[in-house]
Amino acid sequence: MFDQLSLNILDIGMNSLAAGATVLRITVIENAEHDWLVIRIRDNGHGMDQKTLREILARNASTKAGRKKPIGLGLALLRQTSEMCGGAFHVHSAPGEGTGVTASMRASHVDRPPLGDLNATIFALCAANPTVDIQLNCESNGEKFHFSSQEGKYHEPRRTQEAQREGTAAGRAA
Amino acid sequence: MNLDELKKLKEKAQRQVALREGNKKYRVVFSMGTSGIAAGAREIMTTMLDEIDKRGIENVEVAVTGEIGLVDAEPVIRIEERSGEKVTYAKVNADAARKIVSEHLQKGKVVDGLAVGKVKQKEAERLK
Repeated sequence: MFDQLSLNILDIGMNSLAAGATVLRITVIENAEHDWLVIRIRDNGHGMDQKTLREILARNASTKAGRKKPIGLGLALLRQTSEMCGGAFHVHSAPGEGTGVTASMRASHVDRPPLGDLNATIFALCAANPTVDIQLNCESNGEKFHFSSQEGKYHEPRRTQEAQREGTAAGRAA
Repeated sequence: MNLDELKKLKEKAQRQVALREGNKKYRVVFSMGTSGIAAGAREIMTTMLDEIDKRGIENVEVAVTGEIGLVDAEPVIRIEERSGEKVTYAKVNADAARKIVSEHLQKGKVVDGLAVGKVKQKEAERLK
């Protein structure tokens, strides 16, 4: 198990990049009043069909079948953390529409790992693929900020809007 | 963490990953799959990039890859030379990371005690 939630985010984000995403949006919402911490990782990569998704969640399968040692623990680790800390875990995915992972947990739960070094996570993701738009939305008790690795540089708003539409369509489908 | 920090981070990230472009002598590949991350690959990468920055080494580009199958040897770093020679370092800790930067990337000497495999130029060409 990872001792920081930001490592879970990096792990799942790396899979998004492997799935050919051009936009990867990470959302972290903290709410002390309702005692929630919600992490959402959404990409516009190639997605998975329902059969693959079920397999992955059921037996920690890896899609990287050609590998000598397929591991397939990324989602399982986050699910374990989330469920252990009194939260819920959800993945929705469809071929061609990308994948969204949502994990919630009780912010004050004694077993909840700290968020840790989100900067290093974002940096590693940027280094892994500098052309992908890595977005980070943080919302902590009413304070918000937004970060995008492509901001001002290769900014293509149309692509972002498309990703947003995809996001809502996938949300409804799920 | 605040927005200013992230902006600085972004500038640094752009400066450092801009190193990917162009024909550098060395390419450092970090294995960043589940097992690599669990073994501390992210911290090793941060350490190495800071060290590269501190020493002002410019002939290096960085890349990150997914799971590479050397699960029990993580964190794993592969250094690829433009000539085709590849050296893999396994079980890299922070001290080893700094040593790899100062010896291998700066002086061009393979750190023998840490390297696990070396694909010679001829073999690399054969594999291409």
